[in-house]
Amino acid sequence: MKLIKAIVRPNKVDDVKEALGRVSLSGMTVTEVRGHGKQKGHTAIYRGKEYDVSLLPKMEIEVVVPDELVDDAVAAIIQAARTGEIGDGRVFVIPVEQSYRIRTGERSDL
Amino acid sequence: MSTSIVGVETAREELSAAAAHGQGGRAALQRFSDSIDDLLKRLFADAPAATSSLIVALGGYGRRQLCLQSDVDVLLLFDGPIGPAEEGRVRAILHPLWDLRFSVGHQIRQMDDFAELEIDNPEFLLALLDARAVAGDAALLDRIAARVSTPAAHARILDALKRLIGERHARFNDTFYQLEPDIKDAPGALRDLWAARTIAAMTDPALLDRGPTDSPRLGDAEEFLLRLRSILHLEHKRNNNVLSHEIQERAAERMGYTGAPRQQVERLMGDYFRHARAVSRSLRWVRQNAPVPVAANLVQSRDGVRFVDADRARTHPERWLSLFQAALDAGTSVADESLTWIQQRVDRYRPEEFFPTSAEQTALLMFLRPRAGLYERLSEMHDCGLLGQMFPEFQAIFCRVVRDFYHKYTVDEHTLLTIRGLERLATRAVKGRERFSTLLNDLAHPELLVLSLLFHDVGKWRDEHHADESVRMAMEMMERVQMPEESRALVEFLIRHHTKMSLLAFRRDTEDPEIVRQLADLVGIEERLKMLCLLTLVDIEAVSPGTLTPWREELLWRLYVDTYNRLTLEYADERIEHDESGLQALVAGRPDDVTDAEIARFAEGMPRRYLRLFPYVEIYRHVRLSRDIRPDDVHANLERKDSLWELTVVTLDKPFLFSNICGALSSFSMDIARGHAMTNPNGLVLDVFQFTDQERFLELNATGKDQLLTILDAVISGATAVTERLRAREQSVLHRRRPGVTSTPPVIHADNQSSRRYTILDLVADNALGLLHRVSRVISQHGCDVDLVLISTEGQKAIDVFHITKAGTKLSDAAIAGLTTDLHHMLEA
Repeated sequence: MKLIKAIVRPNKVDDVKEALGRVSLSGMTVTEVRGHGKQKGHTAIYRGKEYDVSLLPKMEIEVVVPDELVDDAVAAIIQAARTGEIGDGRVFVIPVEQSYRIRTGERSDL
Repeated sequence: MSTSIVGVETAREELSAAAAHGQGGRAALQRFSDSIDDLLKRLFADAPAATSSLIVALGGYGRRQLCLQSDVDVLLLFDGPIGPAEEGRVRAILHPLWDLRFSVGHQIRQMDDFAELEIDNPEFLLALLDARAVAGDAALLDRIAARVSTPAAHARILDALKRLIGERHARFNDTFYQLEPDIKDAPGALRDLWAARTIAAMTDPALLDRGPTDSPRLGDAEEFLLRLRSILHLEHKRNNNVLSHEIQERAAERMGYTGAPRQQVERLMGDYFRHARAVSRSLRWVRQNAPVPVAANLVQSRDGVRFVDADRARTHPERWLSLFQAALDAGTSVADESLTWIQQRVDRYRPEEFFPTSAEQTALLMFLRPRAGLYERLSEMHDCGLLGQMFPEFQAIFCRVVRDFYHKYTVDEHTLLTIRGLERLATRAVKGRERFSTLLNDLAHPELLVLSLLFHDVGKWRDEHHADESVRMAMEMMERVQMPEESRALVEFLIRHHTKMSLLAFRRDTEDPEIVRQLADLVGIEERLKMLCLLTLVDIEAVSPGTLTPWREELLWRLYVDTYNRLTLEYADERIEHDESGLQALVAGRPDDVTDAEIARFAEGMPRRYLRLFPYVEIYRHVRLSRDIRPDDVHANLERKDSLWELTVVTLDKPFLFSNICGALSSFSMDIARGHAMTNPNGLVLDVFQFTDQERFLELNATGKDQLLTILDAVISGATAVTERLRAREQSVLHRRRPGVTSTPPVIHADNQSSRRYTILDLVADNALGLLHRVSRVISQHGCDVDLVLISTEGQKAIDVFHITKAGTKLSDAAIAGLTTDLHHMLEA
């Protein structure tokens, strides 16, 4: 069981969601985040004044998947979120030790 | 006339006889007053002819309560200058009165005297409240009454009345328990009674009956006091109103009190104090509870603003909006009483009846300017049914429920909440949103944004394509209220595209220049971009409390900034081509006196935004101004536009041109707020400046416009040195920086990347007289040509964008460095 954490462009969330659905993954958590990777943002100018836009708005998608679906899920995310330009984002895969369903308290293996 | 004189003498004798028996009350005094009326009518009829005139009864005579020894207060009013004929008429009226031993308090005035109210003569203003036309042209009095019947005049009169009451009471040590009371002036006596009635009449006629002494009870007090006063005039044989110890016994007897003389006096004085207490309490109540007049037929009291005269309100539904405007102005609510009154009647009126003329349309737009309280007032209008009756389109979404995952409120409330969001931006009530507040403050017509918000979702009464339906319904409304064409186009644009910016900001890649280009093409000019951005912000915020996150705000802001930069920095490269669709539309709609060739010669090669910036009717005027223009010719037009003046100049380009035009305006202390300067490839220059006339030069001088245009011509032709004219102005004490006013360091940013043709100078500095002139002069001194300029202000900051070239090309880095250094030196000096 793995946690896939993907940082993507805000406008790509719907595409990623659709792509994950196609590999039979429907549950996910989406969070509005700001940050930068290699893209590092840039300095914008408004009315003659520079202002820092180094922290760029991104969306973070978290999805927990069975080990056997990890590769499909990562591939689906990458294909859906890619534009080929700097700033497309990152995908992290993190091991998950245990999972519990809050409603019933029972342990769940997805 | 002798009959009338006999009539007066008879009436005087009858009043004396009535007074002797304690019967000189209201009815007797009225009969006496009427006899004077008859005499004056006769004297007026017999007097020599003169200009239209009127005899007006004032004070106690005006109230028909003339006592035996009272002054006969009259105003002789003439509708024109007073010459020998009028003086003859005055003598023919006044001399017989003096012969009859009347003490006459007379004033002789011509109507022009009332052009300005005599605020330093409150006694006269008060006397006018009891004015009554006796003989002559009564319309003259109606004209004066119209001038006195304004909220401002009423407020002054009330202030004066309250001050006079205070001074009078002080003379009696502020108590009505006087052993020898003055029946006219003492606290609780006749003047207090009249004052209570006057205050109630001017503010709320029903006020007296809600107080501790109702009208019949006050009537009893008045009758008692008038009878006593008649006795005093009879006994004293002069205008003396003091009920002295020696008079009290005789007065008690005449009033019919029984018992021993001492008992009679005690009963008399007991009754007097009872009446005086009632009058005193009534006056105190009225003074404490009288509402304040705030507009015609409107007063403000503790429960809010309400109508004074409901009958008047009933016949004038077009004035109902003023009720809410007055509440907005006063920072209070509309009284429940008036809201209920409207609710019970509003469905009797058709929408057109609320906006019969352009004055009501103007009032509507004034009302919709975003400010504290607008949401509350609109909600009141909605709750009492007025909003829906004025705008049936809005009624269509009354309590409309649209089920989706996001919206938490009914469509009507969502709509009103968007306006609350805008109101909070206007008042800078939301921390962290100052950048959006600044955009709102920049808008020339924020009321049109509110109007757009009010109608942006009315199409949701049906389930699909709500934006198109909202546009259709809004257009119907704007046709009904006769909105100007330009405003209609803007509102239509905002409603039609109200979801566009949200779609681009949150569903598209805003890093993609193509997305920014799309939005820039859609909006065309900065004003529309700002409005659409604000509309989007408050529309999202009003969906539910958590919808507008800081993250979304940031995305929206970045899209705004990128689009703004594209509009202001990159527009110069996009020129109007011969086959431009906008140009073809301009040609197709041309008036007969403008030819295709003229339009093409003028507009081709101008920045494409020119077609978005001005309505076609304005562009045709520009074309006309460009006719037959030769070097050194200046074709200009100066006119008032709302609160600003607008100067349009068409001329041929030359060095220092822009600097000189700005200098000429500043030399008249004109504060340039907005403007555009454009040049076409033929060297034809169009400069449009909107400015405020700080010293009211144009307003106060009949030839002011001509003077300004003459100086402009002289400055551009080089006949007059503008720097000299301006220096004197700049040294004026009116324009010195005041101590304690902080200045912000100027910002100058040079951009050689955004445009293919131009170096762009972005300049932000404290606004000051002659700033544009000085900046552009430095630019010209560096041998640069000013081809395009955008001028704007944000509060006290001037924000200007210059597109410049040197010898037809962009500036080198060295040239930019030299220019910006000199600009910094000049701005910081």
